[in-house]
Amino acid sequence: MRSAFRRLIHDPVLLGVILVVFALLALFIVFPLVKVLQTSLFHKGTFEPKYFLYFFEGRPYLIRPLLNSLTVGVLVALFGTAVAFVFAYAVTRTDIPGKTAFRWIATFPIISPPFVLALSAILLLGRNGLITQLLQARWGTSWSIYGLPGLVLTETLAYFPLAFMTLEGVLAGIDPALEESALDLGASKLRTFFRVTLPLATPGLAAALLLVFIRSLEDFGNPIVIQGRYPVLTVQAYLAITGMYNLPLGATLSIVLLVPTLLAFVLQRYWVTRRSYVTVTGRPSTAGLRSTEPWVKWPLFAVVCLLSGIILLFYAMVVYGAFTELWGVNHAFTFENFAYVFSTGAGYLMNTLKLAGVATPIGGILGILIAYLVSRKRFPGRGAMDFLSMLNFAVPGIIVGIGYILAFNTPPIQLTGTAAIIVLIFIFQRMPVGIRDGIAMLQQVDPTIDEAASDLGAGFFRTFRRVTLPLVAPAFISGMAYMFSACITSISAVIMVVSARWQLITVALLHEVDNADLSQAAAYGVVIILVVLGTILLLDLVVGRMLLGRGRHGR
Amino acid sequence: MRKLGTLLTVALVGAALLGWGQQVLHMYTAFDVDEAKIYIEAFQARYPNIKVEWVRLSAGELLARLRAEAGNPQASLWLAGPSDTFILAKQDGLLEPYTESLGWQYLPDKFKDPDGYWVGVYTGFIAFASNKDFLAKHGLEPPTSWYDLLSPEFDKNLSMAFPYTSGTGYTRLATLVFLFGEKDGLEFERRISEHIHHYTKAGSACVTEVGLGEVAVGIAFSHDVIAKGIAKGYPVVLSFPKEGTGYEIGAMALIKGGPEPELAKVFYDWMLSAEAQSLFKRWYRVPLNPEAELAEGLVTADQVNLVDYDALWAAENRDRLIEQWQALTGY
Repeated sequence: MRSAFRRLIHDPVLLGVILVVFALLALFIVFPLVKVLQTSLFHKGTFEPKYFLYFFEGRPYLIRPLLNSLTVGVLVALFGTAVAFVFAYAVTRTDIPGKTAFRWIATFPIISPPFVLALSAILLLGRNGLITQLLQARWGTSWSIYGLPGLVLTETLAYFPLAFMTLEGVLAGIDPALEESALDLGASKLRTFFRVTLPLATPGLAAALLLVFIRSLEDFGNPIVIQGRYPVLTVQAYLAITGMYNLPLGATLSIVLLVPTLLAFVLQRYWVTRRSYVTVTGRPSTAGLRSTEPWVKWPLFAVVCLLSGIILLFYAMVVYGAFTELWGVNHAFTFENFAYVFSTGAGYLMNTLKLAGVATPIGGILGILIAYLVSRKRFPGRGAMDFLSMLNFAVPGIIVGIGYILAFNTPPIQLTGTAAIIVLIFIFQRMPVGIRDGIAMLQQVDPTIDEAASDLGAGFFRTFRRVTLPLVAPAFISGMAYMFSACITSISAVIMVVSARWQLITVALLHEVDNADLSQAAAYGVVIILVVLGTILLLDLVVGRMLLGRGRHGR
Repeated sequence: MRKLGTLLTVALVGAALLGWGQQVLHMYTAFDVDEAKIYIEAFQARYPNIKVEWVRLSAGELLARLRAEAGNPQASLWLAGPSDTFILAKQDGLLEPYTESLGWQYLPDKFKDPDGYWVGVYTGFIAFASNKDFLAKHGLEPPTSWYDLLSPEFDKNLSMAFPYTSGTGYTRLATLVFLFGEKDGLEFERRISEHIHHYTKAGSACVTEVGLGEVAVGIAFSHDVIAKGIAKGYPVVLSFPKEGTGYEIGAMALIKGGPEPELAKVFYDWMLSAEAQSLFKRWYRVPLNPEAELAEGLVTADQVNLVDYDALWAAENRDRLIEQWQALTGY
């Protein structure tokens, strides 16, 4: 510890960067949450944790949502990671045809506002859904998609791409030479998979499970559409705040929700950091993949096709709904809904693009910087920085929003109604995924590479920019692309801080969903999807070119 | 550097030119986006030098927002939402009184605040929306009594709004309390909640759900049942409970400390004029200006059996009733 201090004093640039990062984290992550905690525990200055007492008394409207949320979270984490692993394995470790298409399909749901999937689930599987009616006419079966089945289905589809992105990076980082050695030494394919590939992927799997579990717990867009008689914690917290104007109840519910997510976070850190697998040696492996045996290849191909088909079907429904005159009554083709979106929503869309465009580069660079500090540098408070920067990841967005209103409505920092408050929420709510990706990627890169750069006399920024950044460029680009789309499709936190001056397109979409205006909601969904898709393609192209131009070769 | 300076100057001059001569009014409204646009666009056509920037929020969110922004109000006018939310806002000191308005003269006492903190702009009645196809298939008549909702055909087949997120939902709860007394009214809500398929956040959402056939019966305001169900072409039929039904007063107020009080008053006066109130027929609402034109087939107060709805009592007892409701239903 003493030597860490000494080293820090000898590196004033590093010290400065660390202090600035800590100041930002304290102000924009910790302070709003402290305000929320304060609201849950104190009433007009006196200690009065009324709703915590109710909770421990076992009032069903407080206990039931917690149990429901946990059930959904565990199921979605398992299903989501399993689906993601199948996709990631198929795309990185086999030679099935159509890999580019599958990679696209597996990341596609990330760019859509999640409640679009819940909408689609109702259009397909609701009481009067297309599939429901078809099966009912033929076999007389009936079911209810509302509640647990709908929640698990839609959240799995919505959040498995996060796991896929993590696992794809991790699996792609595993040098095929290791697998080949195992095969050459006489291990069977199956044995190689279970004894080499899977263990190397465990940090990634842990990260993926955690990611999906937490996302599921904090989701409110899908539940509010499809939870039916199965209330979950986020929706109850959201309703308590926006509907009952009951800040203490909402704050208490969200702090109850924080306990499992923080536990998951701590567990994951312990598990992942215990095993470290460095397989990248600085020079990316150029070894090709061996052809996969037919008995692995084609069943896997069939499974991936089936899963892709389901995802595509869900989005096809949204597009179909968007071009439909009046869903459920008149399915005539129309452009009317888009005319509506462009007359009502054009301004909202511009706002969203502007603010997300400002937030993305700032959040992207800050995220990778923190990932770098946390995984590469030794300094006092490193654990705290890691923990704090990831905190918003485990906090339901709606609480971040309320925290910001409580924290920044009065001087010294008065931000209510400004664009800045939305940008700040975008940055600090979405950054953790960038950090998580960055850390996962950095764990695959041998630390001696940037130690070498330092030893050769490169300063902090030079090492970061010329060595670390290019090495993690794929994660950085995917992180930026993710962050931008996450900003554009973000709703739960920003709904509390949008103002007359700065209204966002997702808020407009949520109101259509709230009012069950399905065709108009679908049209909004399609427009958002197209915009995000276009921007990501552009970003990928521009940034990818830039990096290639600097002389970086392949992955 | 010089380039940057030039650019900045051009941008500033451009911005100044574009904004010249046009004043901006900031408004919160609880009207649906589609509906709010009707009035706001008509207002802007009438007053081309005023631009309205507005946000749609549910009445509950709106009040939460006003409370959060009390130290630094971001809007000047609050348009629409049930009067009980306005009563709460008045008690919290969030509103600015205005008694020189156009509507103050013609509005009867029950449609305005005695001190002028808010005025009514329309009224509406709680009604049942039923899916015609479902009724035909099961050989049922549209429900005409609160007790009809308890019949087994409607088990897990009702949809309505949470009383704590929606003005519609709370008006329904309060109506049952006024009708049956507090204990029995709440007990009635509990029995209905066992037949519920799901609760919705927004008051009018159940009408579309009924239209789609996702549920058989919904409870919403009559104007929403007509506008979002029948008028859109959904197989929806409107009916009222014979025991009596509740009503809302859709209100409007100036926000205390709002940035544009004078512009807000222009809108306020206009919204109470016969010209603006006649626009309500496009949404099948019942206007309060006696000179306003009515929509064809509009259900007016003399055609339904109304309970004695005490909005002040409803507003003051809101938190208590909702807490009891939650304990009883578990939602």
